[in-house]
Amino acid sequence: MRQIEAGQTIPEWSLPLTPTTIVSTAIATRDWQDVHHDRDVAQAAGSKDIFMNILTSNGLVERYVADWLGHDCELQGIAIRLGAPAYPYDTLTFSGSVRSVEDGVATLDVVGRVSLGDHVTGTVRVEVVEPVETVA
Amino acid sequence: MTDERHDRIMAEAERIKALGEAAESMAPYEVNQPTIGTWLDAMGYDNDRFRDGEAPPSMIQAWTMPGLGRRRADEDPLSRMMVVLTDEGYTAVLGTNCEQTYERYLKVGEQLRVTSALDSVVGPKNTAMGEGYFVTSRNTWYVDGPGGAEKVATMLFRVLKFVPGSRDGRSATSSTSGGTR
Repeated sequence: MRQIEAGQTIPEWSLPLTPTTIVSTAIATRDWQDVHHDRDVAQAAGSKDIFMNILTSNGLVERYVADWLGHDCELQGIAIRLGAPAYPYDTLTFSGSVRSVEDGVATLDVVGRVSLGDHVTGTVRVEVVEPVETVA
Repeated sequence: MTDERHDRIMAEAERIKALGEAAESMAPYEVNQPTIGTWLDAMGYDNDRFRDGEAPPSMIQAWTMPGLGRRRADEDPLSRMMVVLTDEGYTAVLGTNCEQTYERYLKVGEQLRVTSALDSVVGPKNTAMGEGYFVTSRNTWYVDGPGGAEKVATMLFRVLKFVPGSRDGRSATSSTSGGTR
């Protein structure tokens, strides 16, 4: 895992959303709610289109931070607030930064934005192993 | 909004909260590589660690989703509270918060069990969606072994149960698909 310190910025990552993105992730998270794969049902319920399910928002937050931290990172938790829906043909853009590193835990702030506003806002807690000081 | 209605809602909330981890279910399939691989493909996430025996931590909820055509059990505390609020006119629902804590990463072959409890009910609040109550449920995932039940993850999940059309705003159709299982 990379060395991290408070104030570091995580490079942005943009994910173009297609119907396939929304449907494949919903099914892969074993979420069969029809508003995530059936546009007619979603629109009849008052939505513009099918929209991303929450389990996928969580998964993409994990991917965003783990790809930056290094895949040997140990995530301790993801806490997210849901906002604007993520529809097909929009783009979901993640940005983030390191809020703090203390007591062996780093807290990262993450936001995923779509054209309608913030889709997901949250924090990720990551285990930090302090480098062992070698005694000469 | 009458005080009587609020009193009824909060009395039911207290009763359901007192039931504790009142519902539980087993994951229909053990943690397995094909499901992990499909999840990685869908997320476009290329991580060798999860092709080799470990599961992505944020998949925790996926393992205990009920499956197509199945529903949460009636005794589920969140389901019970949803019924109470629907009956009082708060018919629409929107997922608002999801807070997962991982004790460790899961391994292929592990069998999960999840319990569900009602954590809190707060309201009535005037929100951008309309008047509603915030309902928070708590899920706890366990792996049962010779040494007893090992807690491996928890999730606080909050929804807004609201009166639809009481405000304009964005679509009110966001489901509780983040909801328990």
